[in-house]
Amino acid sequence: MTILDLDNFETDFWKDVDKRATWDQIIPGELRDTTPVTLTQEVIARYAKGVGEDNPLYFDEEYAKSTIYGGIIAPPSIHILLMFACTTTEDWMRSPGTINAGQNWSYHVPIRPGDTITMRGTALDRFIRKDRLFAVHENTFTNQHGEVVCTGRGQTIRPA
Amino acid sequence: MTAEEQFNKVNEGDVITGRPFTVTRETIQAFADASLDYNPLHFDDNYMKNKFGKTSFEGVIMHGMQNFALITRTLTDWLIPRGGFHRRLETRWLKPVQLGHTITPVVTLQSKKRTEKGYWLLFDVEVNNQDGMLVAMGNAMAEFIDVIPGKR
Repeated sequence: MTILDLDNFETDFWKDVDKRATWDQIIPGELRDTTPVTLTQEVIARYAKGVGEDNPLYFDEEYAKSTIYGGIIAPPSIHILLMFACTTTEDWMRSPGTINAGQNWSYHVPIRPGDTITMRGTALDRFIRKDRLFAVHENTFTNQHGEVVCTGRGQTIRPA
Repeated sequence: MTAEEQFNKVNEGDVITGRPFTVTRETIQAFADASLDYNPLHFDDNYMKNKFGKTSFEGVIMHGMQNFALITRTLTDWLIPRGGFHRRLETRWLKPVQLGHTITPVVTLQSKKRTEKGYWLLFDVEVNNQDGMLVAMGNAMAEFIDVIPGKR
């Protein structure tokens, strides 16, 4: 298991740009290369703070224990972070100029501190509309028990 | 309170107004550090002078997923104290959000739906900017449940 290390993440999205699939090379149905990551309480707290989630459910164990959740959970939107945390610098979702057109996400088992999350990511489809290059992706995140945490689909406009 | 009792306490037509959010370089940096999304669309003024296929922008833009996170927070700020469990969010980004813009999510409880085994809420989502222009829209679902999925 790999503990997610936020401080050594490659922030230069131009690095490895030539190794990434262009729109032409995105094969619908093909799986993206992913690695499971383990989320600590600190990672969850940093994510929550970074997106302005101030419900103590996300960082105060004493409080969280008193709720129906029975302990700290991660904000549901943490899949935003996981998409980059679980993929490599060669993943096409990092390509500069990738424009997000819309998303739909379904949520099931909340993530808890210490969970190891696995991503299954694929391109579902690609098409050209109004002269723009679109890709449809689907990402499913599961925990170490094999339970679905969340699954979502999105459309991006790809750099030409 | 049971899921059924919680379901009975909320009303169709309830409107939830999220906290207004003003985009600055600092908010973009904070979101990038939280999400690990360092696309130059959000940082590089020179890069943004390019044309992106048929699309061009007036400077750096806010992350689309920042909007997604703000809508999520608007929903869960309302749901969690009422015992509601966030189940789904679908969004479409209609207009880019730029530096200095202030956006506010508004969520309406459009309908309550009793299914064979569930107590569901269906929401309409709109995000407007400071000029009242619609920048994103979508819909969401929540459920009242007696046990959190996967709880051990």
